[in-house]
Amino acid sequence: MRVEYINPFVESAFNVMKEVLQSDVKRGELYLKSTSMPVMGVAAIVGLAGDVEGRVLFDMDRPTALAIASAMNGEDITTMDDLAKATITELANMITAQAVTKLHELGFRFDLTPPAIFTGDNMEVSNQDVEALIVPMETPQGKVEINVAIRERA
Amino acid sequence: MSVQAADKSDAGVRHDEKKERADKIDFKMVTFSLAGKEYGIDIMNVKEIASAGRFTYVPNAAPFVRGVYNLRGDIISIIDLRIMFHLPAERKDDDALESLLILRIEDHAFGVIVDNIDKVVGVSRAGIQPPHPIFGDINVKYIKGIIENQGKLYIILNVEKLFAPKSEEAPAEALAPAARMAAAPAPARPREQGAASASADVNADFVKETLFAFKRFGVSSVNEEWFKVRYGQWSSSRKATDIQLKEQPEADQFLETFYSPCTGELWSEAYADAVVAAMPRFESKSINVWNPGCGKGYETYSLAVALRRSYPEARIKIWANDSDLLAISMAPNMVFTPENVPEVYRGMMVKGRNGFTFEQSIRDSIFFEFHDVMNSNPVPPVDIILCRDTVSFLSAADQNKLLSDFCEKAKHGGAVVLGSNERMPMDGWNRSGESPVSVYVKEA
Repeated sequence: MRVEYINPFVESAFNVMKEVLQSDVKRGELYLKSTSMPVMGVAAIVGLAGDVEGRVLFDMDRPTALAIASAMNGEDITTMDDLAKATITELANMITAQAVTKLHELGFRFDLTPPAIFTGDNMEVSNQDVEALIVPMETPQGKVEINVAIRERA
Repeated sequence: MSVQAADKSDAGVRHDEKKERADKIDFKMVTFSLAGKEYGIDIMNVKEIASAGRFTYVPNAAPFVRGVYNLRGDIISIIDLRIMFHLPAERKDDDALESLLILRIEDHAFGVIVDNIDKVVGVSRAGIQPPHPIFGDINVKYIKGIIENQGKLYIILNVEKLFAPKSEEAPAEALAPAARMAAAPAPARPREQGAASASADVNADFVKETLFAFKRFGVSSVNEEWFKVRYGQWSSSRKATDIQLKEQPEADQFLETFYSPCTGELWSEAYADAVVAAMPRFESKSINVWNPGCGKGYETYSLAVALRRSYPEARIKIWANDSDLLAISMAPNMVFTPENVPEVYRGMMVKGRNGFTFEQSIRDSIFFEFHDVMNSNPVPPVDIILCRDTVSFLSAADQNKLLSDFCEKAKHGGAVVLGSNERMPMDGWNRSGESPVSVYVKEA
């Protein structure tokens, strides 16, 4: 993954989360991963196209998703209903869109697909041969892992 | 109170004693488990670890012989230690991979299947206790001793005994320890070089182990020639007791002569010209380059400029990657002061806000990527692979994987640039260029 792409994603994830949650967000150590990864329970995915191809996956467990949805809506959400799902989807959309805007300013052309959300137990995402950058974020609501896999169109 | 205090001081004494013993690490073993119990094998007998499956069955062999296996061209026998010791062994599918320890005993290599390979543990030889004769699972004669490490007891296996030819084993068994001592020097005899060279081999192996532990430097066919020469210099310039590398600075010192010229700086004009001259002339309009392990990007820029000078018309594209996030993040926007760079680069630099950078057309030709070469490498077929002093800093298995990726990704007639003290061990490559330039050209 090109070095230029890393910062926009890290920065926008940090900024957006801090803003919507109105609280302290910490960024963990970045690392690369290429094996299949278990999904913690709730995963929002945004596809990328244009000069590049790839996707961004936001992974968190169910209590974290509910806590984030509650914080963003200013009310207590206890079940993974439509509102909760829409909120998490929106969070994914905001972060990715802000990153893509930053990249656009740097001269990279990206398009994004509408986000999709997956919920369930014991899920696993495997796309073989794709190396992903993992950006772990610690929020008071719980841990969110942002998994970015982008590659240049050959 | 007083009882407690006495306890404490007692514990303190024991602790000191233990510490003193642990300080002197002169025996390293690879630990593994069989049926939930911990075992160790002297690291000097372990050539490597691997995981493999689909062994070729050998009819009429002993039940513990699982078959034979082709380890990079060498056919080795595979022995299942669990069956050998009558321990419960989980029968895996034919396709499933087993954990293997590749052992080297005299001139033979064996593969040994165990449940799980744990780690390398360094202990003091003095702490090894002799086996008690009433041990169960394994016949006592195969046990060298027992050692305690971090709360676990490890049974150290005597692999020389375990895999010794049957005829030698019989009398040893009868005469117990005395015969065992007598039998021990036997391996050295056929080599006709005497004990001195055997201990030199052991020392060299130890240096290899520590180089990998401190610097992740893997001695292999890629750099063995350099290692032999360097080890010769090293051992002749030091006292016999002082050959081994005890600390990281010593390992750094050992590797001092390994690095290629112009590491961590832009290449000198002479070196850059020599590298390009050693490569074949590329006729195509576009030149693709892969630069794994580019670090801060000095060599990437150097090669980009050298290629631009030799092929002003061609479209040059360089995929440069490194798994060190800090180093690679600086690379795209590297800033120079003109006084410190060789003259040949100055014409291609422009003044920016913070200092001089390479002009846009050079920077546009390079993709710096945060990428680990052990994951799949999505680069297209390339004309040049620039990989100086990177392959050597991988384990033997990873080196093989990366080198076979080189074979796959390089076009026919393409070139790979290795470090000055590295060579290409794969077939189908021809050496080109004089030291310190180490270029290999892939046969068309």
